[in-house]
Amino acid sequence: MKTILLRADDVLRHGSWVSGQGRITQHVIQLSLMLCLFGFLYGSVMGSFAGITPDHFLQIFYSAIKVPLLLFGIFCLSLPSFFVLNNLAGLRDDFFQVLRALMASQAGLTIILASLAPFTAFWYLSFANYHAAILFNTAMFGLASILAQFVLKRYYQPLIDKNMKHQWMMRSWLVIYSFVGIQMGWVLRPFIGNPNTPTQFFREHAWGNAYEKLLDIIIALISG
Amino acid sequence: MIKWVKQLDHILRGDATQLSALREGRIEISIGGLTVVIAMLGMIYGFCMGSYALLRSGGSLYMQLIASGIKIPLLFFLTLLVTFPSLYVFNALVGSRLKLISALRLLVCCYGVIIAVWASLGPIVVFFSLSTDSYSFMVLLNVITGSVAGVLGLSFLLRTMNRLVISQNLIDQRELLETQIEPTQSENESKITEMKKLPEDIKTTLQPLEDPTSKRAKQVFKIWTFVFALIGAQMSWVLRPFIGNPNLPFEWFRERQGNFFQAVFNTIINLFSM
Repeated sequence: MKTILLRADDVLRHGSWVSGQGRITQHVIQLSLMLCLFGFLYGSVMGSFAGITPDHFLQIFYSAIKVPLLLFGIFCLSLPSFFVLNNLAGLRDDFFQVLRALMASQAGLTIILASLAPFTAFWYLSFANYHAAILFNTAMFGLASILAQFVLKRYYQPLIDKNMKHQWMMRSWLVIYSFVGIQMGWVLRPFIGNPNTPTQFFREHAWGNAYEKLLDIIIALISG
Repeated sequence: MIKWVKQLDHILRGDATQLSALREGRIEISIGGLTVVIAMLGMIYGFCMGSYALLRSGGSLYMQLIASGIKIPLLFFLTLLVTFPSLYVFNALVGSRLKLISALRLLVCCYGVIIAVWASLGPIVVFFSLSTDSYSFMVLLNVITGSVAGVLGLSFLLRTMNRLVISQNLIDQRELLETQIEPTQSENESKITEMKKLPEDIKTTLQPLEDPTSKRAKQVFKIWTFVFALIGAQMSWVLRPFIGNPNLPFEWFRERQGNFFQAVFNTIINLFSM
């Protein structure tokens, strides 16, 4: 337990084991495990909105595995195009280091999320409104994503120092990632679990388009 | 026990948090002992709060008294539980050198100040419980005593945080000097002994040393103080009732609805509309 926490501390502080040379594959695996663990932690808190009773254990469990699934899903979908982009820019040789930087920032994201989990639990204790709970969780994800960008920048800095092209690559990663991320979050609904609907792993007819929905809402707002 | 109370006294007098006492970069207190004192003082204030229910309803609401006595220490503990993980992670993110245990010691000291001030206001609360009938007034009185204690405690926290950062910088500087002195030992030895003495005008000598990291760490602490106050206030709402509305039956916890600030606003309106 203590070693895991110390390792997590290293990820945030840009510790030597995640930024040094060699054994990069091993680092990536360790970082993915960390992502699973802390993502699971936040997910289980997130899914506890309806209460911690035996009928709701399933929802808690679903939410707990969905958070790591969400992050891995976004990661795996964005990676191929990003890999091609890197190749085109002639940065193929650095790609393993890039992969580790990306994974470290993903792990950092879940660690930050896990540290915000008590706030979420406290919010659930204070307010019983389902929509407010969704908004609060969105805010927590937003805050964690913004902070994780600092982690990403710190891991990318040595690469940027080596070649300025990496700066553009990092920006394009953020664009691809957030574009895919919003839709992935929509498809993997529900995360919190509406207490009035039965527990499901996926919503029926979930394969809508988040952007289309967003456009609908905006049009509805404008046309009154 | 007396030893621990003495420690609290040291903190209140400011002896424990003076620069000369922070030589090792941490406050020299025992966390366990101080926690016991904090819990005891919290219970005392809780009893003072619960005394209203006891005195109003002809002495039948002993349960409220007991509940308040348990809930005040619980309030402190849960607030820390909610806010500490993020404080730690944010500190690590900005690269602060404040260690986990030092941060915890600092917070326990801050709690000591808050609870000492709060408990010292307890007799006043009991006096009003004896003399007033208005429930709204009692609620507001407790909000005010809590705010006074909170503001004093948190300003103590920020002040001590500043000193901790200064002493940490000083330790770093000393270590740096010690590693550099190998070749010209005699020349630098006097410098080191000078450093070790911690001169009085320490702030001016250390001004150029303040690096961006400790600046950011201080900012994190300032933001955290605000979040801590918010969570503490709302936590007191979640854990209500503390005083016990004479028109409602005793309950350990009320249903979840509304929030602290809305409730205080309503109580103020209630008080003036009577």
